[in-house]
Amino acid sequence: MSFAVIKPGLETSVQDWPGRYGYWNQGFPPSGPMDSWSFRLANLLVGNPAGAPGLECQYMGPTIRFDDQTIFSVTGADMQPTLDGAPVPLWESVTAQPGQVLAMTFAKLGTRAYVAVAGGIEVAPWLGSRATFHKAGIGGMGGYALKAGQTVPTGEPAPEAVAGRRVKPEARPAIATDRRWEIEVVPGPNDDWIDAEGHHRFLSADWKLSGKSDRTGFRLDGPDWTSTEKAINKAPEHGSLPSNIIDQGYPLGAINLAGQTPIILVNDGPSMGGFINPYTVPQAAFWKLAQSKPGETYRFKAVTVAQAQAMARSLSALCAEASITQA
Amino acid sequence: MGTEIRTQTAGNVWKVLVQPGDVVAEGDVLFIMEVMKMEVPHTAPVAGKVSKVHVANDQEGLDADAPAVELE
Repeated sequence: MSFAVIKPGLETSVQDWPGRYGYWNQGFPPSGPMDSWSFRLANLLVGNPAGAPGLECQYMGPTIRFDDQTIFSVTGADMQPTLDGAPVPLWESVTAQPGQVLAMTFAKLGTRAYVAVAGGIEVAPWLGSRATFHKAGIGGMGGYALKAGQTVPTGEPAPEAVAGRRVKPEARPAIATDRRWEIEVVPGPNDDWIDAEGHHRFLSADWKLSGKSDRTGFRLDGPDWTSTEKAINKAPEHGSLPSNIIDQGYPLGAINLAGQTPIILVNDGPSMGGFINPYTVPQAAFWKLAQSKPGETYRFKAVTVAQAQAMARSLSALCAEASITQA
Repeated sequence: MGTEIRTQTAGNVWKVLVQPGDVVAEGDVLFIMEVMKMEVPHTAPVAGKVSKVHVANDQEGLDADAPAVELE
């Protein structure tokens, strides 16, 4: 079974969840869907395991033609999907007949949409995952985003793959319509390099998401940072800027301070470098990053590690069969 | 009736290549947006004369489906 790529969209890639785990020490990021909430539910709708390989569509969705009868679902951003011209409901499993064309356009609400097909996408795993990491040319369809003319192989659907399954409205992520997002952050690992005023400014300012953001990093525009003595009076091997530190490992979700510009290191981000990370965005808040648009505003809210872990547990509880109803 | 070219994606305007009065052929690039460090060229769907340009170089944070260039 398979589908054909007619138009690839801006950057549509095969991802699986939780991605390529266990190789961070060798520089391989986890990759995977940025909004794993929408991704997992897309899979559950079509009877797949929550982490099965599916498509992540960014900004502009693809146009694909199904070669076989296929149960599929579209979740996340509203890219106004149609099947042979008829609107496709989001958050619902739908049957496509052989030859039918699923067309997606620009994201009317949100930024990243997910397409799951019953049986998942059947590409070869690389270091245990099918997630695309295009900077290294690995995973997915030959290591890169989809290209026009490709045939994407799909697997055998589970017997429970049926049309008309729907995600309950209360189990769907609420994509901001007022262009403002509250993003949780955990202080650290390098929070002791920023002074009290700097922390207050970070947590009370509006931060604007830059258009130069991608799956490697989310660049933010906002006020300047101020630092403690630790950042200024330090051994020369740390480097000359207050934000320079002797090379260290980075956590996923680190708010990496490059000079005065914070960059949130996301799914395809670097594993190490020589800048400080005063805060870290927990993975349960990544879906908000995924669905925000350039020019939109972030406000950051400090949470504890225990609270961040509770957020991840609540999110996983929502990404379950209990969130789905049969129409 | 004129033709309106709208933005195909949210993002920044990198370069505007036309100004009012320019005559363009079908397929000519009118302006280039930038998002995720990628260029997204927007071309003229038909030949015509540029009557209005609503976008500017380095304009940030545009929405998708915003009016950008009008042809007559």
